[in-house]
Amino acid sequence: MSEDITFARVIDAPPEAVFAAFTGQGGQEAFYSEPGWSVESECDLRVGGVWAVTFGRSRDEVFRHEHVFRVIDPPHRLLLDTTESRPDGGVLRYETELTFQARDGRTLMTMIHRGLPTAELREEHQAGVPGAFTRLERVIERPPVDPS
Amino acid sequence: MHCHATLDRTFFALSDPTRRGILERLGHGPATIGELAEPFGLTINGVKKHVGILEDVDLVVTAKVGRARECRLGPAQLDDATKWIGDYRRTWRRRLDRFGAYVERADAGR
Repeated sequence: MSEDITFARVIDAPPEAVFAAFTGQGGQEAFYSEPGWSVESECDLRVGGVWAVTFGRSRDEVFRHEHVFRVIDPPHRLLLDTTESRPDGGVLRYETELTFQARDGRTLMTMIHRGLPTAELREEHQAGVPGAFTRLERVIERPPVDPS
Repeated sequence: MHCHATLDRTFFALSDPTRRGILERLGHGPATIGELAEPFGLTINGVKKHVGILEDVDLVVTAKVGRARECRLGPAQLDDATKWIGDYRRTWRRRLDRFGAYVERADAGR
């Protein structure tokens, strides 16, 4: 079983700036940073090139995401093949599409994860996601923004 | 079932980003008060205060282990596998938000 998940955010900057940040070192590290976690990002921005990110709380617990660029269309669109590797050895693979649409001087940035292997994700969830947070989020969570 | 008073206190407990961070950290396994203090840049007393608020609504439980006090997720957690996708969404939404804020700061500086 698989499904697609869409995320969207309006960013108060033009698409050129958003695209440049997302394909640059600072923006990529900001994207993956968590308080107290280390992030290392290396990006070979060409079709077939790899954007590899390793991040985690310590050297003993490192997550690694590898994105292979399939389409690079600045400043409008990126299409990536994504592989997530977790410290417990779990691996997820899916397609990531990012679009950057101009909106009155701002940018509607949309990220779609396609073909998520939901059965594997469910196992991951059961392995250690903080259930209390999840349960309470059910009450307070707002529906995701529909980019359409 | 939650009574309103408990729910109010639970919402209060979750209203603070540091306490949400502590819950996320404990989602990966138990930690002592000292281990929680360092990554959040808090004093031991600061962590104790946050943990006390979370403990009050059963989101966290603590126990003395040797000379340290160990914290772990409390009985308020329910293993709700049908909501697994919520966590996934939250993680990526947070990434997008952080990235957006980074670009806006950088763009405003130009």
